[in-house]
Amino acid sequence: MTEKRYLVATDVGGTCTDTIVFAAGEPVHLGKALSTPPDFADGVLDSIRVAAESMKTTVPSLLARTSLFIHGSTVVDNTILTREGSRAGLVTTEGFEDTLMITRGAYGRWGGLTEDRVKHPVRTERAAPLVDRDCVVGVAERVDYKGAVIRELDEEQVKKGLRFLVDEKKVEAIAVSLLWSFYHADHERRVKDILARIAPQVYCTVSSDIAPTPGEYERTSTTAINAYAGRITADYLKSLEHLLAGSGYKGPVMVMQGYGGLLPAREAAERSIGMLECGPVAGVIGSAALGAVLDQPNVIATDMGGTTFKVSVIQDGKIEYAREPMVDRFHYTQPKIEVVSIGAGGGSIISLEPGRKAPRVGPRSAGARPGPVCYGLGGTEPTLTDVFMLIGYMDPKIFLAGAMTLDREGARRAFEEKIAQPLGMSVEDAAMGVFRVAAAQITDLIHEITVERGLDPRDFVLHAFGGSCGMLASVFGAELSVKSIVVPYTASVNCAFGLVSADIVHAYSTTMVLPADTTAEKINALYAPMIEKAKKQLAEEGFTGNKVRLEWSIDLRYSRQVHEVTTPVRAKTPLDQAGVQQLISDFEALYERKYGKGSAYREAGVEMTLFRLTARGLLERPELQAAKMGGADASRAKAGKRMAFVEARNAMAEVDVYDFERLAPGNVIPGPAVIHTPITTVVLQAGQKGTVDGYRNVLIDLR
Amino acid sequence: MDPITFSIIRHRLFRVVDEAVITLKHVSGSAITNEGHDLMVSLYRADGALLMGGVGFLHHLTSAAEACKAIIRKFQGKINEGDIVLRNGPSTAALHTSDIYLVAPIHHQGRLVAWSACFVHVFDIGAMNPGGFAPDAQDIFTEGFSSPGIKLVDRGELREDVWSTLLNMVRGPEMVALDLRSMIACNNVARERMLALIDKYGPQTVDEACRTLIEQSESRLRQRLRELPDGSWQSRQYLEVKGETYKVILTMKKQGDSLVFDFTGSSPQSKYSVNCSKWASLGGLFAPLFPLLCYDIVWNEGVIKPVRMIAPEGSIVNCARPAPVSVATVGAIQSVNNAACTTIGKMLAASDKYREESTAVWHANHFAIFMFGTNQRGGLSIGILTETFAGAGGARHFGDGVDIGGEIPNPISRMANVETIEATFPIRYLFRRRLQDSGGAGKHRGGAGGEMAIVAHDAPDGGIHYVVSGKGTKFPQSEGLAGGYPGAVNDYVWVHAPKDARLFDQSLQAMPGEKQPVTWGVYPLMGSDALYVRWNGGGGIGDPLAREPEKVLADVIQGTVSEHAAAELYGVVIRNGALDTAQTDAKRKALRDARAREALPA
Repeated sequence: MTEKRYLVATDVGGTCTDTIVFAAGEPVHLGKALSTPPDFADGVLDSIRVAAESMKTTVPSLLARTSLFIHGSTVVDNTILTREGSRAGLVTTEGFEDTLMITRGAYGRWGGLTEDRVKHPVRTERAAPLVDRDCVVGVAERVDYKGAVIRELDEEQVKKGLRFLVDEKKVEAIAVSLLWSFYHADHERRVKDILARIAPQVYCTVSSDIAPTPGEYERTSTTAINAYAGRITADYLKSLEHLLAGSGYKGPVMVMQGYGGLLPAREAAERSIGMLECGPVAGVIGSAALGAVLDQPNVIATDMGGTTFKVSVIQDGKIEYAREPMVDRFHYTQPKIEVVSIGAGGGSIISLEPGRKAPRVGPRSAGARPGPVCYGLGGTEPTLTDVFMLIGYMDPKIFLAGAMTLDREGARRAFEEKIAQPLGMSVEDAAMGVFRVAAAQITDLIHEITVERGLDPRDFVLHAFGGSCGMLASVFGAELSVKSIVVPYTASVNCAFGLVSADIVHAYSTTMVLPADTTAEKINALYAPMIEKAKKQLAEEGFTGNKVRLEWSIDLRYSRQVHEVTTPVRAKTPLDQAGVQQLISDFEALYERKYGKGSAYREAGVEMTLFRLTARGLLERPELQAAKMGGADASRAKAGKRMAFVEARNAMAEVDVYDFERLAPGNVIPGPAVIHTPITTVVLQAGQKGTVDGYRNVLIDLR
Repeated sequence: MDPITFSIIRHRLFRVVDEAVITLKHVSGSAITNEGHDLMVSLYRADGALLMGGVGFLHHLTSAAEACKAIIRKFQGKINEGDIVLRNGPSTAALHTSDIYLVAPIHHQGRLVAWSACFVHVFDIGAMNPGGFAPDAQDIFTEGFSSPGIKLVDRGELREDVWSTLLNMVRGPEMVALDLRSMIACNNVARERMLALIDKYGPQTVDEACRTLIEQSESRLRQRLRELPDGSWQSRQYLEVKGETYKVILTMKKQGDSLVFDFTGSSPQSKYSVNCSKWASLGGLFAPLFPLLCYDIVWNEGVIKPVRMIAPEGSIVNCARPAPVSVATVGAIQSVNNAACTTIGKMLAASDKYREESTAVWHANHFAIFMFGTNQRGGLSIGILTETFAGAGGARHFGDGVDIGGEIPNPISRMANVETIEATFPIRYLFRRRLQDSGGAGKHRGGAGGEMAIVAHDAPDGGIHYVVSGKGTKFPQSEGLAGGYPGAVNDYVWVHAPKDARLFDQSLQAMPGEKQPVTWGVYPLMGSDALYVRWNGGGGIGDPLAREPEKVLADVIQGTVSEHAAAELYGVVIRNGALDTAQTDAKRKALRDARAREALPA
């Protein structure tokens, strides 16, 4: 009998599928392969195979010794973006059939657009809804703002409406979203029951299950998305399980959720909405886990890939949820970890603004194909990657460990013709300039994101993930005056690393508006059914006793103001009256920190609006082992000298080049320097100091 | 100057404005600011010239520039570091009293280098009607507190005397206090970020970048104007209040690289508060001009230079004090918006290069209903029905207008959820949806407007009251282009339902009881009565008979066009949910023949 010791995690992204293999007492193994849409499963196996080969073993042999398989995938995002979901219908309250078509007014027309496009309203459109208007059925029923039924559900009309959708409109999935259902779910349940009787084959999602929160537009949109992508998600996960079983795997499959935890595949199949953006979210979880190992509770996590630059903020080890998450152009309401992104990546195209002699980075991207000019795959427009090469940050000969040779001259010609000449600058000057523009834009973005949360970047450590981030981080990190910068060893498989850092998490919530002077009993009574449900669910999954952790948090606001703040309950639960008092004062402090001094209108009183329970089943995972630190001398890893951009001099200068593979824990590299890893480059600016730690992360000291 | 540094400074100036807007929304926390985006933040040069306009209610970009300039004149030599000046007097810059400007000088090492300015529509300003729009006002003196300039913060110190005096004059002073605090915080953030920028790059470099930005905008707009044909385009907007009709007449002349907007021929000022001041008219014509002509040009003084306005004194677009103006933003200013959108749209449509940028009028008429009264929790609620921000898009040369798509002068508004409103006010909605046949017919259809009905629900006082300043029930205001029809008109109906009736009816026709049109003043929403509102669609473009029949069929299936309108306006005959091609051809021929007969008198 083989010992099951491995933890395998695979993340399917838009371009690449990454795998990470963990076991106690062994080095971490990585695998990377191209994603294979629309049948993503092939890429999953390819990626596992690469990791297995680096371990000198085979996929069946690795999987036979694997105790847990964790998965994240872009399948749901992809279903929405390509509009390949099920033909869906919607049942809603009579009088509000247009809710999805009017998207809270102009919100659906401008939501998700960049400021450039917002300023050009004539060229903006609302996305066509996932449910056609003639597949929307209004039913007579009404619940009021306090959950009281003021008009009974007309079941005969429901039957007629459902038959119409199923028989005439041939829908394959039905979303049910009625007004105020989060206070009174009975009408929605009865619609679901009727559908189960008359057309059990139709996939059904009700809003009080999937998104029991106020705001009918976002709630209905969420329900529609879940119905639309439900069947594809379920089929995808089922085929993944088959594939793994066929390759020798006999354990459970866990699936990443946007709120930052895992669900067993069977449960995840019912909540396709939960998988949206789960890869990038896993990256943030990975950053938080790394922060915990390195004793860094405050982290700005950045990730720069081929098309986007992503940022998240981790404060005191906690990650904030997005307030108004979107997929494509659709809003939804789910607890989802905030990941802000802009269209700036290695593949971002450099252009000059019409009529202005000002270079611009993105938002158009050359993607992986045709890609940057220097890839020689047919790209003709200069990209940020080409700029990295022109300023000496990339070695044309050893890109991707020598798997690909870069066309330096082609990149130079394209950049000269399209950018440098029109600007009246030399190629080097213009390339250095574009690099500074990119760094400044990222600085501005991070500044805005931290300001939005009332935070000061100087209190944070910067984590730089992704293929391109290590070249820019030393510049924008310095301008933000962060404490230090970490370029993690797992930088290139960030999301997969995050997967193995996550726990099983179930998120529950109950909506109720209660004044601040509510008794502790009343609050505890709201939690009791959620706790019962959570314990039962986790027990079924094998988690009891000290493997279960329950975390309470409550959304509060000042009456008559719109901003709600999710406030963690720090007192012992169930609450007593002193605990309620502490909650209120914690809220007041959080509010003022986030929205600024003098922003609170205390006279109006405080209200509680949403009661959240996060139930964790703690997974056993091998501990990362730190290697022993050796001497500081890094000269053994020196691989020559090259002319490269040094920001402090605003010029190209000769710098030392290091080979990461030859660096050992404890080595210290003085800047300016360029460190090549097999997949990316880390740049140290003048005056900075890089140290290789026991996990092979590069820590950059800015002072 | 060095294009790289210029590019970085320009980007950072955008972010200064962005971060100030975030601060404003955070501290204010009110629905009109956060949902309606009824706000503005901009940066100005030391002489008050617009440097960087943010995305907000765009009427205010030029008005706040004038506010800066007026403050420079008024306080000459007495503008100190750390001052914040409050200004809401409509005859010199502000649009109406409830839109308060806070304008702050930015000093670098003791020298005045720039200004920041912002506005929000405050909770209340002490006018005779709550909320700011005062249909009952007869002059500016009944429209609440109004100042041509007063220091609210003096050298960094809040003036307690001014603060308490102001709050003593308004309803809901604690909410007004929050609005003011949000604007103070906003100006503080703009100043801090601007100074950080100057510290990093040096005052000369930043000054040069700012000057270059303005020069570039001017040269780019002039270049665009030169590419457009010379000519003269007209628009005539009708605006009726309580049976009296006013006209806003605009002739826009474009010659070479300059534009003149001439309002000669517009009606004399009204006794009703729909008038607007000269600066408001200027803001009103720039609000559509920025996004329609300068969508890829930085919005600053450079864009203003090639443009001139002629507005006759004493007219509805340049009224003389003490004419009332509290409804201006949804009155004459909006007519100016519409007229400018039309003349600019006609000019763009006359150009091969820019034809696709032209648009018929969007959301010509805010219905701007303010509700006030005791809410279900016993507190005071005052607030605008945010559906007023959810106008309809005008048709574009390449396609239909966006149904309930907002408006051009405030590109990023939104409306509140029904559930949010029902939790805030003691009311219940019967329905809220797109309004059939409201989008102007055309080859490209105007976006649909909407309709809604509300009743009182759980109101401690048996109901609430609302302020309505409803124009545009008689004449459509969303003009079409190139043969396209205008969007439908607004309507406001008080349904006197039988006692103890509980309405769930799904249309105005189905509701029982007397139906009384209301347009102007304060009305009750009590007992079992209902308020029905419908709001205008966008204008269409091109001949409706040229619309592809399949698109008309799709509209009918969607419910945005009725079968009757399909036949009578579009000449498209639909039977049992399918196109009748033969009948359609015959119908279209009949309609064309009828037109020919009308055109040629016997």
